Amino acid sequence: MDSIQYIGEHLWPGRIGHAAIMLGFVGAMLASIAYYFGTQKADTPDEGSWKRLGRAAFGLHGVSIFTVIGIIFYLMINKYYEYQYVQGHVSDDLPFRYVFAAFWEGQEGSFLLWMFWHVVLGFVLMRVGKKWEAPTMSVLALIQVLLNSMLLGIYIGFGDDPLKIGSNPTLLLREVMDAPIFSNADYLSLISGTGLNASLQNYWMTIHPPTLFLGFASTAIPFCYAVAGLWKGEHTAWLKPALPWALFSGAILGTGILMGSAWAYEALTFGGYWAWDPVENTSLVPWLILVAGVHTNLVAKSTNHSIRTTYIFYLLSFLLVLYSTFLTRSGILGETSVHAFTEMGLEWQLVVFQATFILIPLILMIRRYKSIPSPEKEEPTPSREFWMFIGSLVLLFSGLLITGSTSLPVFNKIVQYFDPIYEGRVITDPVEHFNKYQLWIAVFIGLLSGASQFLRYKGVNWASHKRKFLIHIAISLVGAAVLTFLTTLWVSTKNIPYLVLLFSGIFTVVANLDYLVSFLKGNLKLGGSTLSHIGFGLMIVGIIASGLNKRHISSNPFAMEGMIEGAEDDIAQKNIMLFKGNTMVMSGYEVTYVKDIVENRTRTYTVNYKRRGADGKVKEEFDLTPDILYDKNFTKVEVYNPSTKHYFGRDIFTSIRALPQIEIDAEFRKNREDSLNFKRYALPLKETYTFTDTIPIRDRDTFSLRTFTLQVDELVRSASHPDYTPEEGDVSLGARMRIRMSGDDSVYTAMPVMVLRGQLLYTYPVQIHEISSKVRLHQDVLNLVLTPEEELEYTEFKLRQGERFSLGDINFQFGGFNTKPTHPSYTAEEGDLAVGAMINIQLPSGEVTQAQPIYLIRENRPFNIKDELNVYGLHFRLTNIDPKEEKVSLMVAYKEPPRQNIPIEMATDSFRYDFLVLEAIEFPGINFFWLGSLLMMIGLGLSMWYRIKTMKASA
Amino acid sequence: MKKIHIVGIVMIATAIFLLTTAIKDTTTYATFADAVESGSRVKIAGQLSKDKEMVYQPEVNPDLFTFFIKDKDGVERKVVLQAARPQDFEMSEQIVVTGEMKGDEFWASDMLLKCPSKYKDEEIYIRSEKES
Repeated sequence: MDSIQYIGEHLWPGRIGHAAIMLGFVGAMLASIAYYFGTQKADTPDEGSWKRLGRAAFGLHGVSIFTVIGIIFYLMINKYYEYQYVQGHVSDDLPFRYVFAAFWEGQEGSFLLWMFWHVVLGFVLMRVGKKWEAPTMSVLALIQVLLNSMLLGIYIGFGDDPLKIGSNPTLLLREVMDAPIFSNADYLSLISGTGLNASLQNYWMTIHPPTLFLGFASTAIPFCYAVAGLWKGEHTAWLKPALPWALFSGAILGTGILMGSAWAYEALTFGGYWAWDPVENTSLVPWLILVAGVHTNLVAKSTNHSIRTTYIFYLLSFLLVLYSTFLTRSGILGETSVHAFTEMGLEWQLVVFQATFILIPLILMIRRYKSIPSPEKEEPTPSREFWMFIGSLVLLFSGLLITGSTSLPVFNKIVQYFDPIYEGRVITDPVEHFNKYQLWIAVFIGLLSGASQFLRYKGVNWASHKRKFLIHIAISLVGAAVLTFLTTLWVSTKNIPYLVLLFSGIFTVVANLDYLVSFLKGNLKLGGSTLSHIGFGLMIVGIIASGLNKRHISSNPFAMEGMIEGAEDDIAQKNIMLFKGNTMVMSGYEVTYVKDIVENRTRTYTVNYKRRGADGKVKEEFDLTPDILYDKNFTKVEVYNPSTKHYFGRDIFTSIRALPQIEIDAEFRKNREDSLNFKRYALPLKETYTFTDTIPIRDRDTFSLRTFTLQVDELVRSASHPDYTPEEGDVSLGARMRIRMSGDDSVYTAMPVMVLRGQLLYTYPVQIHEISSKVRLHQDVLNLVLTPEEELEYTEFKLRQGERFSLGDINFQFGGFNTKPTHPSYTAEEGDLAVGAMINIQLPSGEVTQAQPIYLIRENRPFNIKDELNVYGLHFRLTNIDPKEEKVSLMVAYKEPPRQNIPIEMATDSFRYDFLVLEAIEFPGINFFWLGSLLMMIGLGLSMWYRIKTMKASA
Repeated sequence: MKKIHIVGIVMIATAIFLLTTAIKDTTTYATFADAVESGSRVKIAGQLSKDKEMVYQPEVNPDLFTFFIKDKDGVERKVVLQAARPQDFEMSEQIVVTGEMKGDEFWASDMLLKCPSKYKDEEIYIRSEKES
C-alpha cells in the first residue's frame, strides 16, 4: 500500500508531534540524570552546572509536552480524521467547547494532561525548591520518563508479538488499522469521526478531569520531597517545605473528587453523589493517606515524632495514585466499575511504572531507616501529637480497608493465576459493605478532630491545662448532645450507629467552633485546621441527612396496599408513571407531566410540581425539566439528563427512568406501526358514522366491545400537522374530524393529513391516546381533490373584462385582473410577471363562488397555473392574454365531482405512548454535604497559604 | 510496651476481625442452581435470552421488569427486576443481577449491564452511511 499517494492528508503535524514525544522522553531522562548528579555532587563546584543542565533538560521536556498537546489540539480543532486519536474522539458535529473533553477522553490524552501538570508543578518547584530542587526534580523527571514512555509507540523485538512500548497519539488511522478503505487514495473524503461519547458531552467533563489530574499530579511533589529526604539523609529539613505542597495537593485532589461527586449528582441518573465505585475509591484513598501525612507532618515538625510515618504516608499517597491508574486503565476492574477506561495493551508498562516507584523508596527506606530520628521517649498521652498520630493511623486504616475491598478483582486475578479453576469473589452489595466499616472510622475521626484541638503539643503544663481541657470538652459534649437531639427532630438516624455518627460529626463542629472562639480568638488565619474539621463535621451531618433520609417522592401509593402486581413490601417503589397532561398526587406533591419539546436532538420534558397548604392554596410550585438526547438519526436515546430543584434545606431530584419504547427506538416504532390493525371506513362528509370494534385489553387475553362514532366536518387544503413541514409544490389534504368512544364522555378532535410531494405520498396519522386509537387518511382521498388532466375536456373562451359566459347550466363572469395574485401552488419570484383572472361563478343551486387561474411569465417563458374547484368539478386555466384585443383566453372544464365518501383508516389497538416513568427523590440537607466538604478544602487551602507566608517570613 | 504498640495491635486485631467478617459480604458469580441451593442473595452473570419475551408495563407497575437470562451453565430462568427497564437493555453483552430465587423466578434488586463500549468503535464511520 506504500505506493498509494493519499489525497488531502496533513502529515507534518504528526511528524512534529511524534518528534516532540521523543524529545520529551529524552529531555525528561536527561533532566533526571543531570539532577541526579546535581544531588550527588552537592556542595562541589560541579553542582551548579549539573543543575543548570537539569533545568535546561526539564525545560526542553516541558516545551516538548506543550508541543504535543498543542499539536493534538490543532489536529482536533481542524478535524483531521486521518489521525486515529482525532477520528476516535471528535466528529463534525462536536461543538468546539467539547474539544477539551474530547482531548482527555482517551488514555493518551489523559496521560498528557497528567504530564502537563507535572511540568507546570516542576517549573514551580525549580523556582522555589532551593537546595531541594536537585533531588526532587530528579525524581519528578523520572516520573515523567515513565509517563512519557506511555506515549512512545515503539515496538521492540521481532516476530508476531513484538513488545509494545506506549501508544502514540499522533499515529495515522491507516497506520493502526488495516481496512479495505485505505486502498482508496481519497479515503479521507469518505471517513468521519466517531465523536465524543454523548454522556461525556457536558461541562463537568471539561472541568473535572483537569482538576482531578492536578490533584493526582500534586501528590507527586510530597513524594519527591520524601524520596529526597531519604536520599540525602536529611530527615527533618524536608518536612517544612513539603507541608504546603501536601496541603495544596489535599485541597486540589479533594476538590477534584468532589467535582466528580457533583457531576454524578447533577448530571447522571443514579440519584446520589457517592456509590463506592472502584474509581471513586481509588481516588479517595490517596487523599485520605495524604491528609494523614499532613497531620503527621505537623507532628514531626513540632516534636520530631512521626517522621517515619510521614515518610510512609507521603510515599504511599503517590503510590496509591499510581495503583489507581493501574486499576482504572488496565481493564482489570471489568464489570465492577462504570468508569474504567478501555484497555490499551500496556498493563505490563503500568506494572513496571508502579514497581519502579515502590522499589526506589523501599530500598532507600531500608538503608536509611535506622538513621531516621525517633525520640526514645514516647508521646505523652494528653498531648496533641499522640492523638493526631492515632487519627492518622485511623485514616490509614480506612484507606487500607477501602483499598483491600476494591482490590478484590486484583486478588482474584492473582489467585486465578495459580489456581485456574478459582472462580473469583465479588462484593454483593458494595454500598452497604463500605458504609458498615467506614461509619466507625468516621466516628473516630469526628471525635478525635474535635477533642485533640484542645490538647497541646508535647502536653506542656498538662497539670494546669487539664482543667481548661476538661471544661471545653464538657461544653462541646453538651452542645453536641443538644444539637444532635435537635437534628434528630429534622432527620432520622434510623439506628444507633448512625446516631453515634451524627453526634460525632456535630461534636467536631461544636468543639472546633469553641476552639476558634476561645483559643484562636477568631483568628481565621490560624484556623485552617478548624475550618477543615468543621467542614468534616458538617459533611457527616449532610451525609446522614441526605443519604439516610433520601426519600422517593415518586413512591406509588397503591404499591403499599398490595394492589400492584409484584409489589413487595420490602422493596420500596421508586418510580411512577405519568401520562401527559394528567396530574398524579405523590407524597404531598401534585406532579404533572406538562409537555415535551424537541429541539435539535434534545427532547425536554416539563414536569410541574405543586404543593398545597391545608387551605388548598398553592404553597410551593416549580417546574423541573429532565431531558433526553437522541442519537444523530433519532433512532436511539443516548443520554438521559436529570433535573434538580435546589432549596437551601433540601433538593428535589427528578430523572426519567423509562419512556415508551415507541419514543426511544425507531425500529420498534416502525414494527409497532406495521402491526397495528387498521380498518378502513368510508365516511360521508358532515355525517356521523358508527362502528363497533373489539378492543384488546393489554396482555390479558381479553377483549371488550366498544362503539365508535366518527364524523368528518371538513376537508382542508394546505392542512397542517405537527410532524409535517410544508414545501413548495406539496398537495396536502387534511380531514378535520370528531371521534367518540362509548364509555368515554369526551369528544376527541383530530386532523389526519395526507401529502403528495412529487410522486411520493406521505401520511401523517393522529394518535388519540385517551382512547388508544390511531386515525389516518387512505390515499384514495386524493381522488377527491385530484382529477387527472387527461380526463378533462376544456372549452376555450376569449373574454373581455366584465364579459359573461356559461358552460352547461353554470354561469360565469370574468371579473377582471389581479396583478398580485395568490395561489397555493404559486410563490412569487423576482422578475415574475403574473396576472390572475378573477372569475365569478354562479352555480345552478344559486350558490356563488370564485376562481382565480394565473398566467405567468418567468424568464421569458409563459406558464399557466391551474385553479380548480373540486367540490363543484370545475377546472380553470388562463392560457393567453392578448393586450391588443384586450382579451384573455380562458379554458374551462367541468367534470361531475366525485360522489365518493372520505376513506379513513382507524386502528383501535394503538396503545397510548404519551407517558414517562419518573423517579423523584428528595434529598434533605444535601447542602450540608457540599458546604462541609467545600469548607474542608478551603481549610486546607488556608493552611497552605499560612504555611507559605510563615515560611517566607522566616526565610 | 509502648502505647503505640497497643494501638497497633488493637488495629491489626480489628483488621483481621473485619476481614473475616467481610468475607460474608462477598460472593462468587453464581448459577441459578447455586442460588436455589444457597437460598441467599447471590450475583448471577448471564446472557440475555433475546428470543424470550421482555415485559415492562409501566402502567401496571413501573418498578417491575421481567426477562430471561441464561447463566454460565446454560440454564435459563425468568428474572424479575424490581426497577424500571434500563435504556439500551437489549444491547447488553452481559448482565449481572443481584438477588435471590423465589420459586422458579430470580428476583433481582440490582442489575449491572455490560454494554459494548461506547469509547471504542472498531468500525470506521463511513460518511455516506452515516448520513443515510
